[in-house]
Amino acid sequence: MNERNANLLFATIAILVALVFTSFVLVLAGASPVAAYWYILKGSLGSWTKVADVLVAWVPLLLVTTGLLITFAAGLWNIGIEGQIVLGGIFTTWVLRLLQHSAMAPGLILFLAIAAGALGGALWAVLAGVLKVYGGVNEIFGGLGLDFVAVALTLWLIFGPWKRPGIGSMSGTEPFPESLWLPTLGHTRLSLWALLLGIVSIALVYFLLSGTYFGLKLKAVGKNPRAAYLLGIPATRYLMSAFLLSGLFAGLAGAVQVTAVYHRLIPAISSGYGWLGLMVSMLINFQPAWAAPVTLFFAILNIGSIQLPIVLQLDSSLSGVLQGALVLSFLLMAGVRQKWVARLRAEEGEA
Amino acid sequence: MEIELRHIHKTFGPVHANNDITLNVPSGIIQGLLGENGAGKSTLMKILSGYFHPDSGEIRINGSPIVMHSPADALRFGIGMLHQDPMDFPPMRVLDNFMVGYPQGLHPPRKEARAALKKISDQFGFSLDPDAYVDTLTIGERQQLEIARLLWLGAQVLIFDEPTTGISAQQKDSLFAALRRLAKEGKTVIFVTHKLEEVEILCDRVAVLRAGKLVGTATPPYDLDGLVRMMFGKAVSKGKRTPIEFGKPVLQLKNLAVEDSRLRIEGVNLEVREGEVIGLAGMEGSGQRQLLRAAAGLVRPVEGEIWVDGHNLTGKTYHDFLRRGVAYVPASRLEEGLVPTLSLMEHVILANEQRGLVIDRQAALEDTRKRIQTFNIRGRPLLPVESLSGGNQQRALLALLRPGLRLLLMEHPTRGLDIESAIWVWSTLKQRCREERTAIFFMSSDLEEILHYSDRILVFFSGQVSEPIPAESATTEQLGQLIGGRGFKTGKEASS
Amino acid sequence: MKRFWWLLVAALVLAGMVLSACGKSSTPTPEAKQPFVFGMLLVGPYNDHGWSQAHYEAGKYVEQKLGAQMLYVDKVNPADRPGTTAEQLAEDLVSKGAKLIIFNSDDMKDAALAFAKKHPDVYVIHASGDVSWKEGKDYHDLSNLSSVMGKMIYGKMMAGCAAAMTTDTGQIGYLGPLINDETRRLASSAYLGAKYCWEHYRGKDPKDLKFKVTWIGFWFNIPGVTSDPTQVADDFFNSGYDVVISGIDTTEALVEAKKFHDQGKNVYAVPYDFKDACSEAPSVCLGVPYFNWGPSYLKLIQAAQDGKWQSTFMWVGPDWKDINNPDTSAIGFEIGDALNDKASDAVTTFIDELANGLNLWTGPLNLQDGTVYLRDGEKATDQQIWYLPQLLEGMEGQSVQQQ
Repeated sequence: MNERNANLLFATIAILVALVFTSFVLVLAGASPVAAYWYILKGSLGSWTKVADVLVAWVPLLLVTTGLLITFAAGLWNIGIEGQIVLGGIFTTWVLRLLQHSAMAPGLILFLAIAAGALGGALWAVLAGVLKVYGGVNEIFGGLGLDFVAVALTLWLIFGPWKRPGIGSMSGTEPFPESLWLPTLGHTRLSLWALLLGIVSIALVYFLLSGTYFGLKLKAVGKNPRAAYLLGIPATRYLMSAFLLSGLFAGLAGAVQVTAVYHRLIPAISSGYGWLGLMVSMLINFQPAWAAPVTLFFAILNIGSIQLPIVLQLDSSLSGVLQGALVLSFLLMAGVRQKWVARLRAEEGEA
Repeated sequence: MEIELRHIHKTFGPVHANNDITLNVPSGIIQGLLGENGAGKSTLMKILSGYFHPDSGEIRINGSPIVMHSPADALRFGIGMLHQDPMDFPPMRVLDNFMVGYPQGLHPPRKEARAALKKISDQFGFSLDPDAYVDTLTIGERQQLEIARLLWLGAQVLIFDEPTTGISAQQKDSLFAALRRLAKEGKTVIFVTHKLEEVEILCDRVAVLRAGKLVGTATPPYDLDGLVRMMFGKAVSKGKRTPIEFGKPVLQLKNLAVEDSRLRIEGVNLEVREGEVIGLAGMEGSGQRQLLRAAAGLVRPVEGEIWVDGHNLTGKTYHDFLRRGVAYVPASRLEEGLVPTLSLMEHVILANEQRGLVIDRQAALEDTRKRIQTFNIRGRPLLPVESLSGGNQQRALLALLRPGLRLLLMEHPTRGLDIESAIWVWSTLKQRCREERTAIFFMSSDLEEILHYSDRILVFFSGQVSEPIPAESATTEQLGQLIGGRGFKTGKEASS
Repeated sequence: MKRFWWLLVAALVLAGMVLSACGKSSTPTPEAKQPFVFGMLLVGPYNDHGWSQAHYEAGKYVEQKLGAQMLYVDKVNPADRPGTTAEQLAEDLVSKGAKLIIFNSDDMKDAALAFAKKHPDVYVIHASGDVSWKEGKDYHDLSNLSSVMGKMIYGKMMAGCAAAMTTDTGQIGYLGPLINDETRRLASSAYLGAKYCWEHYRGKDPKDLKFKVTWIGFWFNIPGVTSDPTQVADDFFNSGYDVVISGIDTTEALVEAKKFHDQGKNVYAVPYDFKDACSEAPSVCLGVPYFNWGPSYLKLIQAAQDGKWQSTFMWVGPDWKDINNPDTSAIGFEIGDALNDKASDAVTTFIDELANGLNLWTGPLNLQDGTVYLRDGEKATDQQIWYLPQLLEGMEGQSVQQQ
């Protein structure tokens, strides 16, 4: 058995374990697993509208995961990604608010707003990077702190300076006029621009990490900063670049949330995509090639599981159970695989 | 306990790592196992200690055949192995490490363990503090801990795989004393090495492996030339010292002082010229490493100046030194020298000058193949570097050095290499001195190496540095005395 | 990688085939008689022992009374359902046959509006907002949209009264969420009720009553973002405040009161939202003001079913004949075990007075900064109450979010 076939085998086992576990939970809840999976599938891929909805949910998650791949390559746990999404949302909203009554063409306003979102996310990430590199604050704690600050900032803006006429509302800021929404495809909610942004982003980062000097040096810094230093790689600069790029994609995700999904700033603008992205990254063992299909699968689960309470009166958190079970069983299988590979290598290495 | 290996075969893909090996080891002796890197020594020992399963052949203990599926199995049969890299758990305490692998239940008997550790330590003259953290121990002490642990777990047969790699001469002496004690107490000791002098002073008998086959055995008094011929299939010699003409100064140290938490070196004045080789001798931890690192910009000196090719680089970073043609080769390959999980080819790409943004993988692959061939590395371009054996990792490090270097700083350039490889390494280094006018500044715990390859020698004794000694006129005895601190005269005193 | 994609596609196709084969047989056949189907979007879990569960149970109540059928989606918020909007989920419910959709939270205001605009043929109820209030500040003229809110001001007055009748120190704490018109209105109502009972039933000087509002910043605790409500409650109890009225969605005030009570201190709390809230710590619970959405929903859904729907704004108070009648009263107050008999009688008397027309929103009343809110004898309009700009004079605490 060679390594690639083995990887596939381990992945299949992991999926089966997760499915069996979730089925068991479903049976305990008194539901037919087959029916539940069927409705999830039907509710996500059953019509073009549904497929479009899945893609709408896919794009921000894909962007966030794309960003995380960069920091993970550099050996960094960018927990601050949630805050970076939020700042992306805030910066985008800010530019839209500034320009919405101007005479500028809506397309240009949108472009500037999305660029501002990317900038906002990048700034927030660089802040976490500065704290780590120059302040000695571990990026996990620094990031976590910045996440909280970002959420507090959002709430303050929504109930303070940017509150809607009349009464500040949990519903968020006043929605933007439809001319400032990213145009959608037909009667769906899907914006082809957003979709394009997502696909181009992951393709770029895939190439960046696998085909360029930058990506290789980033990996070297991530795996062994001391050796990388002796090889002449300026570690600090690469760590900061990793934060910056990661935040840029997170900021884009925030911008897409504002311009293509919610059309305003809402208190939970990040939708928890940061945490979900971290989960996906672990699930795919930080390999860029798997990011697109696995985030798509998660989007399918998110959209499809809406059918559970509607049709089966089931608690819809069961899709969360399936996601969690998947991650756990993949981590488990990764452990098993690692042992197996180590053994294989040890035997080969002796030869 | 008597061990018999009978007709052991083991292949990895196309490589026949062990080819019909039959060997008897009686108890109470130290059995040497000699061979160059990749001769199949480690494979054979891993089979004997349960890590690998032989393709065919059998293992007998006291005449009866046994089958093992894991190292734990082997330990149940009384066979334990110490690895090249001690496999302990650094953040844990000595006592906890000692108890790892103890087979009983959730509540290990700490008191008993403590007593047992003390008893074994006393018996073998080990100095192990049960409450110290393992990462504060020297490699020698870690080995002692591992020996104690295996003995406590009931090992009757102890296998040592290149145990003298990376330990000081003093630690080596106490290790050998312990091995002799073990043999005297009736244990079976198998000692794997590629160093002839170790076989000579320690082993009661020796078996030689070459290319997977057992090519001969010998008992004292040893015919060393005969052993070398067996190891390599031919005679090898270090070659004669060929004088090189030195050029203008490359490295200048002016009244340099370096300091860390343990010791301070001061008043170092030295000029290293093009093509010259300077060896740093001394007990490990006497300050050689600090000086070497300071000369690379990895440690900032507290006083004095460092000049490279007429440029004052005092206080600059390593990367500034790098740009001036200085390179540093560390001793800890996987910690500092190489990036685990990256392949050999990726290392070659990183070591090369960057061209554009996108990597040309085809060119890199060809380049890597060429270097693998030139540097005789046993490994494939796309396999991660940690899958290479220690000797091949060292070759890889050398293969990564750019051509045209001005100054090469090296920690233990041939540590872990067999004689032939060491000779080859030095021939390539000397070639650099001759053809590229590179100056070399290296430290080693192998006095022979220092004497043979250096032009001048600095001896270190707990932070004091001797004035440069011309290697041609120096002797082992003279250096040995200096290293021990006798007849010491520092460069500072000499110059003042 | 190619191989992987190929396998993925194959697996999906196979799964699709298997599932469709099984799916067909398990799809229930439609019933002959078509009940009226309404949908409900719940912001939290349907079983949250709070806001969302109250709505969910109201939906069940309507199902039972009307023979209608409810479809619901819970946890309708961007964090729980990334990539979805309430509007989209509402459309999902419509595609399943719903003719009327309830949006149960202020969060969904924009979604409710957008949905109502886009689907004039579907009835929309927005709970807790003012969007269909002609006299309100945020009116939207949409004939298929109604909004509903309970007059919790009365419930809060009763809570304030219960607190005033119980306190020994004359200090009442109010654990507030974030600051907006609604929360100012409710905190002030609690103060009005407390002041009235303190003055008229205990015969004391209103100047001796301390009433302090501390805002935590959100409806529930978010570590690092809001003040910790546990800490705020502790501070109240440690600094002489012996009754804390909760204005937030979670029960920290009650839990902390119990902790102090168990250490021998005489302190009490009044929770919020959910009828059974007291059951968590009956020994310190003075009572709970709660919402009962059932009757309002029944009325609106009945109208929709009978084709008599009219866009309305319902700001409904208690049924003064029996404020705890599940079939008639939108607001109730459940008296708690910890309220002593004398205080309990007083609260009952207070409720009777309110039922007989006592209006506490009557002048003279000043705003916190001393400006006149109501002149002597002037009665506040609904607008004046709904959009209360500051806390009232006599209350401690911030009136507006500090920036």
